Amino acid sequence: MIEAKRISKFFSVINKDGVAEGMTACLSVSLSIEAGKIITLLGPSGCGKSTFLEILAGLQAPTEGEVYIDGVRVLEPLPSTRSEIEEYRKKYRFLSPLANDLFRDRPKHDIAMIFQDYAVFPWMTALQNITFTLKLRGLPRGERDAQAGYYLNKVGLGSFANKYPSQLSGGMRQRLALARALSVEPKVILMDEPFAAVDLLTRERLQEDLLKLWESSGVTIVMVTHDVSEATYLSDEVIIFSPSPGTIRNRFTINVPRPRRRDDPELAEIQQRIGKLLKYDLDNETEYTI
Amino acid sequence: MIHDQPNYGLKGFSRLTSESGLFLRNSFGSLFSREFLKVLIPLLVLWELLPRLEAVPRTLVPTLTDVAAAFWDLVANKKFLVHIAYSVGKFLAGLSIAIICAIPIGILMGWNMAIRKHSLPLFQLLSPIPPPAWVPLTIILFGIGLPMQIFLIFLGAFYPILFNTYQAIKDTDPRYLSSARVFGASELTLIFRVYIWHALGAIIMSVKTGVAISLVMLVIAEMYGGRSGIGYLLVEAKDFFQIPAMVVCMLVLGVIGWFSIEILKFAEFKLAIWKVGA
Ligand SMILES: Nc1ncnc2c1ncn2[C@@H]1O[C@H](COP(=O)(O)OP(=O)(O)OP(=O)(O)O)[C@@H](O)[C@H]1O
Ligand SMILES: [Mg+2]
Repeated sequence: MIEAKRISKFFSVINKDGVAEGMTACLSVSLSIEAGKIITLLGPSGCGKSTFLEILAGLQAPTEGEVYIDGVRVLEPLPSTRSEIEEYRKKYRFLSPLANDLFRDRPKHDIAMIFQDYAVFPWMTALQNITFTLKLRGLPRGERDAQAGYYLNKVGLGSFANKYPSQLSGGMRQRLALARALSVEPKVILMDEPFAAVDLLTRERLQEDLLKLWESSGVTIVMVTHDVSEATYLSDEVIIFSPSPGTIRNRFTINVPRPRRRDDPELAEIQQRIGKLLKYDLDNETEYTI
Repeated sequence: MIHDQPNYGLKGFSRLTSESGLFLRNSFGSLFSREFLKVLIPLLVLWELLPRLEAVPRTLVPTLTDVAAAFWDLVANKKFLVHIAYSVGKFLAGLSIAIICAIPIGILMGWNMAIRKHSLPLFQLLSPIPPPAWVPLTIILFGIGLPMQIFLIFLGAFYPILFNTYQAIKDTDPRYLSSARVFGASELTLIFRVYIWHALGAIIMSVKTGVAISLVMLVIAEMYGGRSGIGYLLVEAKDFFQIPAMVVCMLVLGVIGWFSIEILKFAEFKLAIWKVGA
């Protein structure tokens, strides 16, 4: 169970005249996601989906609001840049960053994440990338290689185990990121456009694999995508973000039983409605900018 | 498997020879490439002929054969090799102390803002002082001996390595940090598995800069306060007006510098193999 309570995120950006401007990436987003569901976030580019996902993962501090996973608060990493420290001071007004019980006993959450630009480590081979994350999760040394190999095979990279990411194609890197996230067998997987860079056939195969995995493990999946048919095919609920400021605009619950057919008429109808909505937002935005 | 065991030492040896052969070809091989020989040979011929034909005064510009003879004399005299060994030893000592100090401090400064704020201004104040300006004070503090020379060499390499390491660590791509953090990496793991690797290229680059400046400091230190080393030989040759010997010393310094840079390039190639995509 993931609960996001009234999450807002403001950035201050310096514009070209050297003046600081406020910029709202998310505004008061509340969302509760039941365990074992697949949720997709849809929305135009730049509306704060990636930011929201990183807040869920505890990688960025929300300016306001809190995230709880199974009732345990998700905390951001300790601040390291000047602006982060300032933000931290504002938020935890009377607490010094280092002597703060809240942060010292930071709970570890069982989350895996796939980043929009994969962020696999270029200095490790495909296999090492996965064994390293397994090590971070405390898997004993003897089991790491076998488990890493299993998941590499699963995404079709079995014969590329000893290649470095620079020697892989974009789509292969994406699959490596997927294998890395799956390999730790987490309770929650956050995915930022995980299948954007692979061809249609591979994408459909990976979707099937993901569904199989999801069915067998009961993992909760939160996924950002731009592909409306992917969203409707996979998820229990589709959440539409509206642009600037990013807020939840609409939610579509999809009750079509699994296994679904890709050409299910009910799905097609929902897809059409979502498509219209997104197009409407886009048209409105162009009206503003002209 | 069992059959492989006795061979292991031999394999290691042949690996070593093949690797060092590769290294020599990739580093100094460029001197003997077909293209460069077309430049090198005429240059050497000119060097030999111009003084011989008295186009330039032979007393001031020694010919190639003069220099070769001087080199031979020096090598035959065992002391020359001892002097080279001294210089190389001092150089390595100063440089390693600089690396051992500068890289950890740079990493700490790049990693943590509090550490940075407490230490960076000090280094920013001290680093613009040109290292040769330290010579008088160092002589008074350490006397003229090995400690003073090693300190000056250390000083030449310390700041470039420190600042470049710190900058590279600070500029580590936050995406990599995030992706390690989300899987539960501690700060220590981040330092050893993410920061350092991301900064590796820049750190090796900075050591190259450090090598160049330490070499300058090596010569200065030996000229000012040595009884040993190539810098000392250089001054001695000047006092006796032995121009060929001076040229030999200069060329030896050049070779030492080149060799160190090539070693670093080789290390970079071996360590950052993921960049090359071999
Ligand atoms: N570190 C930052 N500093 C300032 N602004 C930021 C920062 N990170 C994100 N933003 C801004 O926040 C907004 C949301 O960014 P985000 O990456 O979340 O969008 P997105 O919905 O994931 O877009 P896309 O679909 O293109 O990936 C953008 O307008 C971006 O400019
Ligand atoms: Mg995004």
